[in-house]
Amino acid sequence: MVELLELPSRREEAWRWSRLDALPELARARHGQAGNAAQHFIGLGGPRLVFVDGVLDEDASELGRVSIGALELATDHPLGRQATGAGWALTLDRDQATDGIEIVHVASGGANHLPARITLAEDAVASVVETYVGEGWANRLTQIELARSARLMRSVRMLQGSGFVSIRDEATVGEGASLVSVFLGAGGMDCRIDDAITCNGAAAYAELGGALLTDGNQRQECAVSLRHDAVNGQSRQIWRAVAKDVSTASLAARVEVARGAQKTDGEQSLRGLLLDRTATINLKPELEIFADDVKCAHGATVGELDARALFYLASRGIAPARARGLLTRAFVADAIDRIGDEATRDAFSVDADAWLEKTL
Amino acid sequence: MLKIDNLHAEIDGKEILKGLNLEVNAGEVHAIMGPNGAGKSTLGYVLGGRPGYEVTGGSVMFHPARHAGLVPASASPQAEALADKQTPAQGRGDDHGWVDLLELEPHERAALGLFLGFQYPVEIPGISNVQFLREALNSQRKARGEALLSGGEFLKLARAQADGLGMDQEMLKRPVNVGFSGGEKKRNEMVQMGIIAPRFAILDETDSGLDIDALKAVGEGINRIMRAPDKAVLLITHYERLLEIVAPDFVHVLAGGRIVRSGGIELARQLEAEGYAQVAA
Repeated sequence: MVELLELPSRREEAWRWSRLDALPELARARHGQAGNAAQHFIGLGGPRLVFVDGVLDEDASELGRVSIGALELATDHPLGRQATGAGWALTLDRDQATDGIEIVHVASGGANHLPARITLAEDAVASVVETYVGEGWANRLTQIELARSARLMRSVRMLQGSGFVSIRDEATVGEGASLVSVFLGAGGMDCRIDDAITCNGAAAYAELGGALLTDGNQRQECAVSLRHDAVNGQSRQIWRAVAKDVSTASLAARVEVARGAQKTDGEQSLRGLLLDRTATINLKPELEIFADDVKCAHGATVGELDARALFYLASRGIAPARARGLLTRAFVADAIDRIGDEATRDAFSVDADAWLEKTL
Repeated sequence: MLKIDNLHAEIDGKEILKGLNLEVNAGEVHAIMGPNGAGKSTLGYVLGGRPGYEVTGGSVMFHPARHAGLVPASASPQAEALADKQTPAQGRGDDHGWVDLLELEPHERAALGLFLGFQYPVEIPGISNVQFLREALNSQRKARGEALLSGGEFLKLARAQADGLGMDQEMLKRPVNVGFSGGEKKRNEMVQMGIIAPRFAILDETDSGLDIDALKAVGEGINRIMRAPDKAVLLITHYERLLEIVAPDFVHVLAGGRIVRSGGIELARQLEAEGYAQVAA
């Protein structure tokens, strides 16, 4: 497989802000000693899975309704198609629900690839929390299919100390179904989140967003697209990027509304916060609308911490470093606050706070 | 409590305050009135320490009264650092307890008991009023070496102050000033003042944008929170109406960057009747 690694060029528009140079070397490198995964479980009471370098650690895992086996997932995504072979699958029948599933991906260097499939039948409900730790390149392809009125809450945090996390999600959201995905990049690695979501049922709801926090020489990006193919769909994209030092955070988010997808209500908010003027934030909001009776609100801004707000906080007795921390925390809050489960939301907040503590 | 001596200050190289003198004693309320552009807000910001407002001459000495006495020199590193800064006048001999305000950072001024009520309170999305105020109060208490308030103690205090100013409890949970009307923002400033309980409040046009009921609530709030023998207020305003409720001990007219006339409440009434041009001339 190593020989087959063909990476997209930065000359391609969708990859212009990517930095994939380290991947070929990581693909050739060997795995090392994996760290402990247990400490990264939040304790949601549901199935727990530990993948070490993409391979299930059976002793550390309780599968519940999750199954492990070979997955044949068709994709033309240049990184996603690397994720072949054995993977994990969650299949829920009509009206089934499962307690929060937690997956910890531990990488020990080198590269690991893992496919996954989530299939929820009518009215099924699931939530999945994934955590990436360790070092090396973790590459994932996840295909998601939500039938009528199914609901999936997905929360992904990337906390690797170094290396690269690449995530490719391909999802279809059926009639009245709901998909909410929240991502947090608060580690030392680079990352690319590459989502393609299609709302193909009437009144489908999709939400996609998160916060990318970068410092040093890091580079993180999301390149996501959300397509409305049916009427009365609703979608929200709330992305926040915070960049310090000479790091780069890029948010490219697209909403597509097909000709027949009348009464679509889409909202997109991309905001960047530069903690240093040497850092870079790229924002690329895109709307492609072929229906004439739709509402699509969008906003994209990059700025620094508000000097007036800093003085306001100082005038009430809050020291400058603390004030900067509070305002930065507040800036990323609306993205993380989309997580429905309180324990998960708190855990993500703690990770974001830890990043701020370390960085500011 | 506050001694301003020949204060000169500029913004972007433009001199706004041109030799301002003012002395405020504990237990007094002083009103500063004056036409637009006279330097009223600049005075507030200079006293608060807002970046960009450069003091080019003169001095501002502050005697924080009770708080200074409470600072145990070894209570905390912060308290120690503050205590160190509290004696810059030692070399001059007789200024015991007086602090050179201009030497302090804005948050240090707040910890010593200075409160600046903003003409345009800032909106801070993502931080709730409760979180903001608890953070503020505990930052100040920590700097003074006092015990921190628990969440429960703080909520009790915050609710009492919100009640006292007729502010809906729900607004305490909302992000700071976000979506508040002009009047609600000003009420919120007063709620903050009530919670923080400063020694010296500079209130910059706290009455602008208020309807009659809100004006009354704010005026009574100022009286309740700040009318005490060991506290003082500098009330910057355009209008005499608030002064009828707060009843200042002194009224000053600020024009052209310095105080040109001083008097009692009758001066404010005269200004209301005749205008600045007539009175300040």
